[in-house]
Amino acid sequence: MNLSPVKQTLRYDQVSCRLQVEGLPDVSVGQGNEAVGIITGWNLRWSGRPELEGRKDHLLALMAVVLPYARHLISGVARPFGGGDSPVSIAPREQGGHSLELRSSQPDTAPLTLELDDAELADLVRVLDQLRLDPRLQLKLELPEPQPLHPREVLERVPLRRRLVAPLGGALAVAAAAAFGLLLPEPRPQQPPPGAVELRGEP
Amino acid sequence: MPEVPAAPEAPAASHAPPLSRRGLERLDLLLLSAEALDLNGGEAMVWMSEEMGFTGLFANRVELWKRRCHNPLRRATRRGDLSPAETDALIRILCALADRLYPLLRALLSNAEPEPVRRQRWQLFEGRLAELVRERMNPRRVGVQTLLDPQRGERQRHQLIRALAYGAGNGGYGRLRASLHDPVV
Repeated sequence: MNLSPVKQTLRYDQVSCRLQVEGLPDVSVGQGNEAVGIITGWNLRWSGRPELEGRKDHLLALMAVVLPYARHLISGVARPFGGGDSPVSIAPREQGGHSLELRSSQPDTAPLTLELDDAELADLVRVLDQLRLDPRLQLKLELPEPQPLHPREVLERVPLRRRLVAPLGGALAVAAAAAFGLLLPEPRPQQPPPGAVELRGEP
Repeated sequence: MPEVPAAPEAPAASHAPPLSRRGLERLDLLLLSAEALDLNGGEAMVWMSEEMGFTGLFANRVELWKRRCHNPLRRATRRGDLSPAETDALIRILCALADRLYPLLRALLSNAEPEPVRRQRWQLFEGRLAELVRERMNPRRVGVQTLLDPQRGERQRHQLIRALAYGAGNGGYGRLRASLHDPVV
């Protein structure tokens, strides 16, 4: 009788990409044969692009940058996620779209950059959502819950030039009014009419 | 009949603060965008609400409509806040609608579509959205005028479609909900 755990493959499809996760049930905690408690590998296939594959850490790093990035995009804030030391980073492109960069842990391997449009990014977000919500994946992913933005981030959503228009315009209006006030001649002190002096002299 | 995603438990929902007026405005505009993408969007919303078990909160279409009228941009706007349970139910309905409309949302956002086809899709959506906005929103509000403006409102209309695409389905619920609770500055 063979009691070794059966290798499971979880597959999630969208129009532009397919995510496949391979793993085994963690029998030490009593998981059933259908479950995946240990991820042994994964690959992400894009139509017309190189296939990505890696270990569990890389998959978690991908989720840790792509999902918060999408969360911020819903609020209209496009800011980079994942620094130079992270295996995955994502940033908005100036000409539109998004740039996903993957750095291999192998030495002398150049980073791979994928340029995605909004639809491809939405597909990627959906496959990652499908994976994290799949009841067969019985593994704690430790991804932070989406949170409302900080007031500063909401403020920074408006370009600096537009944010400065109102206060600068107000300051200029005050300065112009003050300058106009300085240009006006000071009123001369009123001379009392001669008759008034005489009248004042009477008892 | 399309499959309706189940509404999983949201532990933080009951402790969440009520949605701000700005959040209610965005939520209603997102629901309006879903209606603009689907000719039967209004009916679909009622059907989704029933299928997802929200009849206790929205007994009928009038009750659903009354909650949406808390949007300050509405012609007949209602005062007061919605309860967290009501706003969460509306967000769940929105995510389910966006999930159902995802192929349309994707087609609008994809650069792979031929440009004339893409432009035609956007014109169709923007035309339908403008019709619904003129019908239901207060035209004296600057927000409504901006949304209807072909140039000034373009960014906002694209943002509505992007928000629906990234917030579609059960997975999008947390993201969309967090975004609607963004602080007002």
